[in-house]
Amino acid sequence: MSIDSGIKWRNPLFVWGGKRDVEELPTIPFRSHKEVWERTRRSTTKLNPVGRLRYYYKWPGHGATMWNRLRYWPTRRRVLRVRGEYNPKTLRAEKTIVDKRPIWWVLGLLALAIAPLFTPGDLQNTLLTAGATFGIYAAISLCWMLIMGTAGVFSLATYAVVGTAAFVTALLAVKFALPWWLLPPIGALVGLVFGGIIALPATRLDGFYYALLTLGLNELCRVYFVTSKEFGSANGGLYGARTYIPEEWSQLGQLLLAYYACFGLMLLALLLYRFVNGRRLGRILRMAPEKREAFAEATGVNFRQARVWVFLVSSAALGFIGGFYTSNFGGVAFSIFNFDTVLLGLAMLVIGGVGRAEGAVVGTLIVVFFDQVLNTWGPARFMIIGLIMLLVVLYLRNGLFGIKAQFRAWRDKKKSERRSTRAEKGGELLPEEATETEDKSVIYQRRHDKMTRDHLKTLVSPEIIEEHRHSLNGQHSEALERLLIYFRTRPQVEKYAIMAVERFEGYRIVALSGHRGVAPRVVEDRIYATPDEACHGVFMRRVQDLLES
Amino acid sequence: MAQIKIFGYADKISVKPGDTIQFHVSADGTSTAEAHLVRLIHGDEHPHGPGFIEEEIDCVANGTWQVEKQFTQVGAFLEATDPDRKLALDGSITLCAFIWPTWPDVGHRQCLLGRWDNDRNHGYGLGINPSGRLEFWVGCGNEIDYLQAELPLQKQAWYFVAATFDARSGRATLYQEGVVNRYNSLLSKVAPVEYRSHVSEMFRFRQNNLPDTPFLVAGSRDWHALRGHFVSQLYCGKIDRCGVFDRALAREELDAIRAGGKPPSDGMVAYWDTTKGYTDRGIGDLVIDIGPNQLDAKGYNRPVRAQTGYNWNGRNDCFRLAPHEYGGIEFHADAMIDSNWKATKTLELPETLRSGAYAMRVRGGDGEGLAEEYIVFFVRPRTPTARIALLFSTATYLAYANERFATDGQIVQPMAGQPPTISEVDIEIYENPEFGAGCYDTHADGAGVCYTSYRRPMVNMRPKYRIAAFDLPWNFPADLSILAWLEHKGYEYDVLTDEDVHLEGVAAMAPYACILNSTHPEYHSERMLDAHEDYIAGGGRFICMGANSFCCNVAFRDDEPWIMECRKTGGHWIAWAARPGEYYLATTGQMGGIWTGFQRWGQKLVGNTFAGEGFAHSQPYRRMPDSYDPALAWITEGIEGEIIGDFGLGNGGAAGIEIDCYKLGFGTPPNTKIIASSGGHPDNYIAHDEEGAHAHQGFSGTHNYILRADMVYFEAPNNGAVFATGSIAFGSALPVNGFENNVSQLLSNVVDAFIRPGPLSGSNTTRKSTAGLERVAP
Ligand SMILES: [Fe+2]
Repeated sequence: MSIDSGIKWRNPLFVWGGKRDVEELPTIPFRSHKEVWERTRRSTTKLNPVGRLRYYYKWPGHGATMWNRLRYWPTRRRVLRVRGEYNPKTLRAEKTIVDKRPIWWVLGLLALAIAPLFTPGDLQNTLLTAGATFGIYAAISLCWMLIMGTAGVFSLATYAVVGTAAFVTALLAVKFALPWWLLPPIGALVGLVFGGIIALPATRLDGFYYALLTLGLNELCRVYFVTSKEFGSANGGLYGARTYIPEEWSQLGQLLLAYYACFGLMLLALLLYRFVNGRRLGRILRMAPEKREAFAEATGVNFRQARVWVFLVSSAALGFIGGFYTSNFGGVAFSIFNFDTVLLGLAMLVIGGVGRAEGAVVGTLIVVFFDQVLNTWGPARFMIIGLIMLLVVLYLRNGLFGIKAQFRAWRDKKKSERRSTRAEKGGELLPEEATETEDKSVIYQRRHDKMTRDHLKTLVSPEIIEEHRHSLNGQHSEALERLLIYFRTRPQVEKYAIMAVERFEGYRIVALSGHRGVAPRVVEDRIYATPDEACHGVFMRRVQDLLES
Repeated sequence: MAQIKIFGYADKISVKPGDTIQFHVSADGTSTAEAHLVRLIHGDEHPHGPGFIEEEIDCVANGTWQVEKQFTQVGAFLEATDPDRKLALDGSITLCAFIWPTWPDVGHRQCLLGRWDNDRNHGYGLGINPSGRLEFWVGCGNEIDYLQAELPLQKQAWYFVAATFDARSGRATLYQEGVVNRYNSLLSKVAPVEYRSHVSEMFRFRQNNLPDTPFLVAGSRDWHALRGHFVSQLYCGKIDRCGVFDRALAREELDAIRAGGKPPSDGMVAYWDTTKGYTDRGIGDLVIDIGPNQLDAKGYNRPVRAQTGYNWNGRNDCFRLAPHEYGGIEFHADAMIDSNWKATKTLELPETLRSGAYAMRVRGGDGEGLAEEYIVFFVRPRTPTARIALLFSTATYLAYANERFATDGQIVQPMAGQPPTISEVDIEIYENPEFGAGCYDTHADGAGVCYTSYRRPMVNMRPKYRIAAFDLPWNFPADLSILAWLEHKGYEYDVLTDEDVHLEGVAAMAPYACILNSTHPEYHSERMLDAHEDYIAGGGRFICMGANSFCCNVAFRDDEPWIMECRKTGGHWIAWAARPGEYYLATTGQMGGIWTGFQRWGQKLVGNTFAGEGFAHSQPYRRMPDSYDPALAWITEGIEGEIIGDFGLGNGGAAGIEIDCYKLGFGTPPNTKIIASSGGHPDNYIAHDEEGAHAHQGFSGTHNYILRADMVYFEAPNNGAVFATGSIAFGSALPVNGFENNVSQLLSNVVDAFIRPGPLSGSNTTRKSTAGLERVAP
């Protein structure tokens, strides 16, 4: 703060003889606002190119031509979610595909559909078998995803349901020589019953205890089936059911039929996933818990019941898959209850990312590839799967398909970190922010504001504060007038005002919201006896804010 | 328990004894309230004055009232008169309109036109969806099918939009084309903006219509358990000609309408020609349907008419010159001109009531803060008896009604030279759009508020209110200091309002020898101004008590005097600026803005008018040489020294706040004398910008001699005379020191002289009127 300079401001109104107009007051030497501007012009800060490059193609808008939009009959969902918009920088009318997943799905499924045509001859057997296995396991993963992701039930009994359905149908098929097409529906029934039994504790138990319980159940099943004579304890499994694959076909023909049948099973599972997850039931379940409660209350939807529903539907589907399993392989091995099966299945979900169909399918693809195609690598491949899973759990928040969002969040965080380290701009917009600003005059406004503040800071002194205390809204010295004009012309947001608690008795300082409908905010508890005291209180707060900015 | 809040209004502002008046009250947190009729005498609670004074009056309405929460429909819209449900179309349909949205990205759905039930999802509608895109939708109760345009709508650009729906094929098509010309929109053609969008899609079902859904323009029907039916999805922007057809119009047909062609009659169910029915004397609320069924649409909350249309091309500046270019009807989601509450109490006023300023005091609970309401109204005598009338500036009260300077106006703090002092009720009206705004506010969409009315609570017409921006009593509360002075001095007086002068003209003023007006007589219709002029020229004696006098031109309809129209144009002393081409008052067809724009400066009427304003401390007057003229000595009789009014409840002086000055170039009568002038106003006072063509340094108080309050006096024909104080703070100086002070003394001198029968002392009594007007004062 300045020492008493002995400089006086002489009041031009003194000659008029007003009672409140003193002749002179101590003030500070004149300081030009140009100092700040000149100092800034001498700045040698290195300036880099700014702005974000767009590196992918955007379709132009339709203009005068008709845009015929297609829907998935009979829903009102459009085939592709496309949004027309103005390019914020060029104003060009553009189309953006909001959700590109349908395209990836179609391409991916097409690739799977034609993949057998391109398998090299020597690997045909391995690859087609692996492909069939992938189809079945992908279907299982999808159903499991519904249970874990949509219903939010941490069940580890998935393979127990599949295995039980497979064993029961195999037993019935062998005993009663049932045709192959009866096995999946019977399996579905078994799955439904099994699911019904384990659904009961699902809503009562905590996630961790429920996981333990179902894991135990899985082990119980294994022990039961392995030791039970009926289920062929001596043979490592129960075989002999009729399959849908005609024995008279060539081996290639049989392999191809199995491949496409399993592929079809996966498509069915995808449909189920889409149906359950994409409709209202699934949407409610995927809401944040606090929102969900409110929504449930508002619409009368019982989301606990919805969870059980999803669980039961998925269990029936798992049983169906179990039945199909039997009619595909002609039976089933005890290994389906093995702990490593459960772990591999879990790996399939985790690697892709819980809560999305593409995660389940791609996760399954990766695991089956290592497990079945690279089976020459021996146990090392399990180490690799374990390693992948470990890395995914350690570094990715939501599996492989969460990478994009995670990368963006990371990039934005880095950006703001970089910005905050460049403090020398002091309130001005940084170039990279400025290019994204719609109203370019805001950039200058911020610059002007910053320059003004830098100058005004040099004017704050005990003389000026004393002058304000003496004369709140009369004629002021140049320095005080500059400060006051700046303070008073600020935008309404967070601008200080006085609130009359009781007229002529008590006043307090508030900050305006600047938004219609939003009341001012009380900034301090202190009560001032007069509006004048409150007015000086506002000034002191503003000075303090200025010095701190 | 919820906080108790009481708000109310009366259906009339000016009544006579024996008249019936209705009170409309809404209450929060209580079902009963204590009501008492009071006569208001003084408002300002400033500790250096007499404080608040009221007189309780016996009447049959006093006592406990049953009160309830009442709801207010805000937002302007049109409702089609369709008793035969011609618009309940459940087959093919075309909806089309010219639109100029002001706030497409407001974030909620805005309905442009449709027969849509927003609560039960029945019907059809064309609107703007939350993403700012044009959208057409149909509903059959459990499901809605919709089609949105490709690109968001640009604000303040004229479009022709349409939706067609072929019920047989299920095909819905949106048509959106810009109709931007060189004048009518925000952007010109150099901006590379694509306005066009044509999208088509198959709907799964067709609309189902409920029997009682109204067809609305700029809103849609909604329902709330407590309120019942109301209108939501309100639109912000202009709509020009619009229509409904019962078939899907082909693109070429729509192109033809866009190009200005006649809409096809084949299939036309309704076509509202928004330019029909204009008269040279104004535009009403009915929008004419030129279709076969005559389904005229009625405006609610007064949609703003006389606005430029899609084909306005800059040559004409008024709807009277080219009605077809003025088809724009402007809607605001927060427009409000009538609370339309149920009447809580009807009172036949006692015949014995003396003329004065009255209020129904309604208190709930402890009656503190928001639990106390004063519903103000003015009582005139059945037949005038007094020689003095006090004219309350109800037009100015309307203009300032529920203003939100302090909370909304960024420039208010530099104007006021201080932070605002807000009270509870200011926050209440800031939080709730139901109170409506005044002509100093803008709608949330940015346009100025041009309609204001007293059929809603006016919190700043309460007697104890202090304006937050300046922490002063403002308008009515300040005017009560003049009334209290008349009471204190024992003058017999009647009360008049601007409304009486507007409706009855000079006849309302003529019975009085002397009329005093208010501290802030700013807003006047042409008829009011004419009445003043005729009164003074006819021998009336007029004391202009305030400043900022006779500045602004406003208009009323005869059958709805509670609604005032105001268009702000000309100069910088305006809270908002009417858009180019929209300067004319839809109510009368006259140009709005300031009377300066008509060569009717206030100086021509009372010798002085607006010099400028400021809210730093007020100053005293210092006598000017004319006051020492022996012929005028009676004005300053009994006043010692040169200084008058170095005190006051209005910032500590009698001259300040808003100040008026003498100006020959603006028509001050050349025989005008300046009795005293103020000076030494600080730089917080800035001159009115008509004082110089270019803004320049040196406009403000310490630099500019214009910034002064002139106390002027002149004689008018037929023994008429005018005394004008030139300062808003003058009235607030009267009550200081128990009304014993030199300002009070001076005013007494003038009033005494003005009410004394016969010629004024020192006047040229032989002069005869040249205007040939009847002498109206005895
Ligand atoms: Fe004014």
